[in-house]
Amino acid sequence: MGKSLGKNPTVLLEKIKESLDRLNEKMEVFIEIQKQGKRQDFVVQDLPEALDVMTLLSLPDHLRKTAVTICKLGYATAEEVAEQTKRARAVESGYLNQLVLMDYLKKERKGRKAYFFVEK
Amino acid sequence: MGKIIAIHSYKGGTGKTLLTVNLAAVFARKGKKVCVLDLDFRAPSLQSIFKLDGSEYWLNDYLNGTCEINKVVIDYTPQCMCNGKMLVGLANPATEALRDMSAKDRKWEMRALGRLLSLKNTLLNDMELDYLLLDTSPGLQYSSINAIVSADVVLVVSTIDASDVEGTKRMTHELYDLFEKKTAILMNKVPLEFLSTPVERDSVHKRFENTHTLPVLKVMPCYCDVLRAGGTKIFVRDEPEHPFTKHLEEIATKVANF
Repeated sequence: MGKSLGKNPTVLLEKIKESLDRLNEKMEVFIEIQKQGKRQDFVVQDLPEALDVMTLLSLPDHLRKTAVTICKLGYATAEEVAEQTKRARAVESGYLNQLVLMDYLKKERKGRKAYFFVEK
Repeated sequence: MGKIIAIHSYKGGTGKTLLTVNLAAVFARKGKKVCVLDLDFRAPSLQSIFKLDGSEYWLNDYLNGTCEINKVVIDYTPQCMCNGKMLVGLANPATEALRDMSAKDRKWEMRALGRLLSLKNTLLNDMELDYLLLDTSPGLQYSSINAIVSADVVLVVSTIDASDVEGTKRMTHELYDLFEKKTAILMNKVPLEFLSTPVERDSVHKRFENTHTLPVLKVMPCYCDVLRAGGTKIFVRDEPEHPFTKHLEEIATKVANF
């Protein structure tokens, strides 16, 4: 451990930062779910299979705004969504991850960045 | 960047299509680049007004993902006799196509929404159009809600019919507000006797603005000439001095600044 840190500390620090980012994202989801207090609604109920307009209408206001924005952008990071909605990046990250949990969005990582999209 | 305008209504027969076509014609005659798309897949009607037979591809094909939008739109500029540009995209009126569109599943509708949303890039950015007008089905149809989500502005056409006014009010709260859309009302086919003096016109205008709690862009009188034309005339082009045309010009100015 000490040897590899000595050899390439930047790589190791980057890996630690990446892990912290992922942990942070997970925390944001849990915090958001707790805030909304509606996990039951999102996870247990039978959810419609597609993020169509009827689904968008049935979403709570805060998630609808995020979902419509990702539909418009097609493929975006939480930061890009936050730019459109004028809300904080961390808030959007929480909402986006919640939509991923609900199976309406997909998420993929490219390097350090997490991208969200609607699977067509 | 151009503007996408969805023209919607709660009930059918409010005059949506005629207003859409004439509004597009006003913009085009003012030198703007405009495209009108028929998203009323249950009862397509633009082909009758424009007297077009259709092109090789329909809007149905675009939403199905079998062609791009440039294969669908027809250049109507010469027939429009305008300084700008007018493109028209038709829905397939064949019975088989109507049946096919009514049987689409939610996944398809989701993809259709994506295709409609991407028109902002293809038509407004790449083709540099100033306005994209979406003529929709009345009520809460998938294609209409898709159009509303894709639009920057929603113009809702209502008559003075009580059920129409009530339904429009409901849609304001349960549809347009939820998508945070800039929305305005166009009261159409209002009997002329309600609007015979400026005071009466003002009073009717205020009454509907209070009812809808939305801006009313215009209270349009019901003109027998318009009814008599049976949806076969583009008044803005064919009757430039008609009061209906004058009203449309005022609406266009308000929409441009809305």
